[in-house]
Amino acid sequence: MSAEVLVISLLTPLIVTFILPAFRPKAATWISAVSFLIPMVVTLGLLLTTKESIVVPVMDLPSPVGEFYLLADPISNAFGFTICLVSAMVALYSLPYMKHRFEEMLHDGEIKSIEWEFRKYWFLYNLYAVAMLWLVYAGNFILLYIFLEISLLASFLLIYMYGYGNRQWVAVLYFVWTHIAGVLALLGILIIGFENGTAAFNAVKAVGFTAWLLIFLGMLVKLPGLGPHIWLPWAHAEAPTPVSALLSPLTVGLAGYVLLRVYMIDSSFIEQYRDIIIAYAIISSIYAGFSVFKQKDYKRLLAYSTVSQMGYVLIALCLGSYGLLGVVIQYISHAFGKSILFMTAGAIIASFHGLRDINKMSGMHEYIPTIANAALLGFMTLSGILTIGMFGEFYILAGLTKIYGFNLAVILAVVFVFILSGLYSFYTMKVIYYGKPAGYERPKFSRLLDAPLYVVAFFSVAFIFPPLATALLSGLKVALGIGGVMP
Amino acid sequence: MSEMVELPMMAELLALLFFTPILASFPIAIAWGMHPRPEWARKLPVLSVAGLFVSLCVALYILFNVGELSPEAEPIRYTIQWIPEFNINFVFIFDYLSKLMGALTAVIAFLIGVYGLEYMRDDYRLGWYWFFFNLFTASMLLVVYSDNLLMLLIGWEGLGIASWGLIGHWFRDDDELSYVGILKRKVAGLNMFWSPSTGGWRAISTIRVGDMPMFFAIGALFALTGTLNISEIPWAGLEEKIGVAGVVILLVAFLMGPFTKSAQLPFSEWLMTAMTGPTTVSALLHSATMVAAGTYVFMRLSWYIQPWELHLEGYEYVYILVLFLGLVSSLYAALVATSSLERKVLLAASTMSSLGLMFASAAASYWVGKFAVLVAFWYLITHAFAKASLFLVAGHLIHETHDRFLGGDTEVARKLKWAFVATVIATIFLSGIPPFTAYWIKSGMDGVMHHLEHEFGLLPLALLVTISAIYSGFLGKFLSMNFFKGKKVHLHLHGGGIMSAAYLAMVSMLLVILAVILTSPEEPFSEFVEEGLMASSFAVGMIVLVAYAFGFFKPQIKSPLGQFFGDRMYMMFLNDYIVPKIGWAIAKVVDYGNRLIDFTCHQAIPRMFEICSYGVRFIQNGRLERYLQIVVGFVMLIVVVAVAAGWIA
Repeated sequence: MSAEVLVISLLTPLIVTFILPAFRPKAATWISAVSFLIPMVVTLGLLLTTKESIVVPVMDLPSPVGEFYLLADPISNAFGFTICLVSAMVALYSLPYMKHRFEEMLHDGEIKSIEWEFRKYWFLYNLYAVAMLWLVYAGNFILLYIFLEISLLASFLLIYMYGYGNRQWVAVLYFVWTHIAGVLALLGILIIGFENGTAAFNAVKAVGFTAWLLIFLGMLVKLPGLGPHIWLPWAHAEAPTPVSALLSPLTVGLAGYVLLRVYMIDSSFIEQYRDIIIAYAIISSIYAGFSVFKQKDYKRLLAYSTVSQMGYVLIALCLGSYGLLGVVIQYISHAFGKSILFMTAGAIIASFHGLRDINKMSGMHEYIPTIANAALLGFMTLSGILTIGMFGEFYILAGLTKIYGFNLAVILAVVFVFILSGLYSFYTMKVIYYGKPAGYERPKFSRLLDAPLYVVAFFSVAFIFPPLATALLSGLKVALGIGGVMP
Repeated sequence: MSEMVELPMMAELLALLFFTPILASFPIAIAWGMHPRPEWARKLPVLSVAGLFVSLCVALYILFNVGELSPEAEPIRYTIQWIPEFNINFVFIFDYLSKLMGALTAVIAFLIGVYGLEYMRDDYRLGWYWFFFNLFTASMLLVVYSDNLLMLLIGWEGLGIASWGLIGHWFRDDDELSYVGILKRKVAGLNMFWSPSTGGWRAISTIRVGDMPMFFAIGALFALTGTLNISEIPWAGLEEKIGVAGVVILLVAFLMGPFTKSAQLPFSEWLMTAMTGPTTVSALLHSATMVAAGTYVFMRLSWYIQPWELHLEGYEYVYILVLFLGLVSSLYAALVATSSLERKVLLAASTMSSLGLMFASAAASYWVGKFAVLVAFWYLITHAFAKASLFLVAGHLIHETHDRFLGGDTEVARKLKWAFVATVIATIFLSGIPPFTAYWIKSGMDGVMHHLEHEFGLLPLALLVTISAIYSGFLGKFLSMNFFKGKKVHLHLHGGGIMSAAYLAMVSMLLVILAVILTSPEEPFSEFVEEGLMASSFAVGMIVLVAYAFGFFKPQIKSPLGQFFGDRMYMMFLNDYIVPKIGWAIAKVVDYGNRLIDFTCHQAIPRMFEICSYGVRFIQNGRLERYLQIVVGFVMLIVVVAVAAGWIA
């Protein structure tokens, strides 16, 4: 019963993707949003009602591919819920924002018709989001890879066509980097397939060292870790803001999801190289955290904060089963927080004629109080204050003690990572939204530029209280097989 | 077990206690955000205060009706499911500490809320103010009543964010009256004045530094013991499990939260610049309740760790640290307060000094027992009422004189006689002059410190007496400089009825406490009286009286030392110079690193490909001649290699 409901709800946005270009922009916006709200409600219902996993077979393919099937356990549902919520809200937000962007492009003579561009936009947007949604329900590594590539292609085209600045160059840069990630992962997946005779999650017995290493390196580029992280500020800053608001909160974190799935099958690699990986993750996070302070472009600033937050995911991955819980929750909290924040950046761009330079912002709360307050909620989510981010940090810290005991160096480093997030969050708030007002006019803007932010923020806060916290955490406990130490 | 006690309607009552204030602040928060703003929006704060009143009623109900009010009473716990799979639940605890502290918080929040109705009447940001004010009250009550550490942390983070929001309330930084320090003044290139938005940033940045280690300790306790209920954690077994060093790391990490929140050294600066917030905020958050939450949490821990029963090495080190950190911070702050020229900064420093005494006294419980915690707790209560009254008076004076620096002569005392009366009562009752309220509690504290003679000699007692004397000296100065010997000020009298009523009600609580101490035969009041009747305590009381008189008659002495104290011994260099300098230096290095990586990946490597491609195209130009040359070249190369390798003899 619930399997059918789930499949139908997952199919809705997929089907809608292909009919969306037939509608006018306003109708398309609402249809797109609703098509994601339906699976959102279903996934939330599943989270609240069942801890069992649902398996929906799709087809059986010969070795080394193995069975294609959909897997809906609490982990997938948690990721799926997040993707649906953020995608639906960003879809609503897209209408006023992309209208502004298209008008700008029309003015510059880069496009010919706003309506025509909207048709292309809605197809690509929905395709992008739906590919991510299906990715987290894929029960086979090959299937997962296919969705990974679809989401990459769709987002590449969106940046290529509607980005800012030197957008073609940035889009190609993004494409090359993520393609490196994709190829490495594919190689690893193929090795898994050949070694096990299948790439289906439920049939893979072991993941060898080479396969693990390739997937890990690939995902390190995508996540990204220190070094490969350099593509991210370009792509996230120059993408049109609704795309940034999917790229940063949802897409990069999916690398964490892939690693989590591989880990759940075979944790040998991480366990063996735990110390090196956690050291790298901590350095990566601290490095990116410090980078935030030097940014002058609001969206670039947020992009560096993403790198820092993804360091959390990698740290959490090294911390045993509590850490895995931390991975999932950190993904959710970062998705909520960062989607709000990118939308605030976009709202400023849309209402102040492309204003992105932090040096020209000050006391912006005076002009856009609703956006400023939403940004506060976003930064609270990132720093784990009164929001779901708190649980993410909690399980990371609990896992830290389980794995490393009272190793002072690791404790101080991880605590410092968390402190740094809080510091750059509130530093940014102060620089942008408070202080002497910069002398703009109070703009008039569509409610769709601020209301969706509060919907996301509502869930961010609601997830620390019952029933959502209870359902999510107990479901994840079962899915991750955290044993009966607790009474 | 105590859980068996029947608690009718408890879930509903708790919902009322926590949610009413928050929900009651929504109308003003939403109406204020409307554009254009409706006219009736300015009337909505009454609703917020009504929400605070509901909390007050519930807190008083809990105080008198849930269990017995005695330090020896069994704690009553009430559990609401949260994430039972991890054994983490909303566990509310009603014991001696929490019931009194909850009532104290609710009373003070309500009275200051009433005061705020008049004080904040013409403000430009009422939605923000009332939302955070009420959020603060709910968070504080959550901290007070929670037994579960994760739930406590929710309240704790609520305190932090509310404090940040309210300090930076006047975010436009355009009103001189909201600054701290003398505008445009510089010392060694560093600005010696702080705007509200800076004050907010300093507060949250300091508090985060403490909260994260505290959070680590909570996570670690969960991983180690599988429970987060303070009253259930096997504190005694902890040392066996993780060793002395483990206990020290764990507890110090935990106490980083209370230390930063209660502004102990070296985290004191934020409290001084927190005075950029509205005075109501300074009164409620930054003197009476929030900053005291740090000491309260320490008392609550001590109450259940019962270190006096354990005598374990790890705990002993931690308690020694807290004892001396408290005393040193207290001395530092008292000295700073003597030389402060701003009304609110003087009171902020004195608050820090009192918090240090609370820490020290509670830490003495390791050697003295539960009585030391009770002394610290009752000092907290007395201090809260007295200091909140003084802050409210200061707010009224700032309101009427438009001047945040100390000033005012007898004209002020005549025209604002209720403010004058409240100041006299609050200062005398707080400084420890016999036979007023704080005297009895301070006598208890003298006794506690005297008990430590065996371990640390007379040092703690000597420090305490010194601090008490300095403390009462600057309280005398505060009275004198505002109502007798200060510079002449220009009064803009308007209204003030509600404000006066609020602080008079507040200060009258000191009389109530005095009456309770003198009449109640119960623990710990009888001990207070016993200690107070000793000759040595009386002698200390006399020293305090002399100091008070000295501060009153000679409020100002010009000296370079005073300048040094008044500039808070230049502690601000830590916050505003050393730490930022290091941080920005790292950020700079990191930025260069990013540029290097960016250049390598996006310029150098593509350029290299380009060069390669150019080279390849140069060779592959399609002419037969070129390919022949290549073939000949290769053949020659092979021959040379072959000869060199000796294949061709």
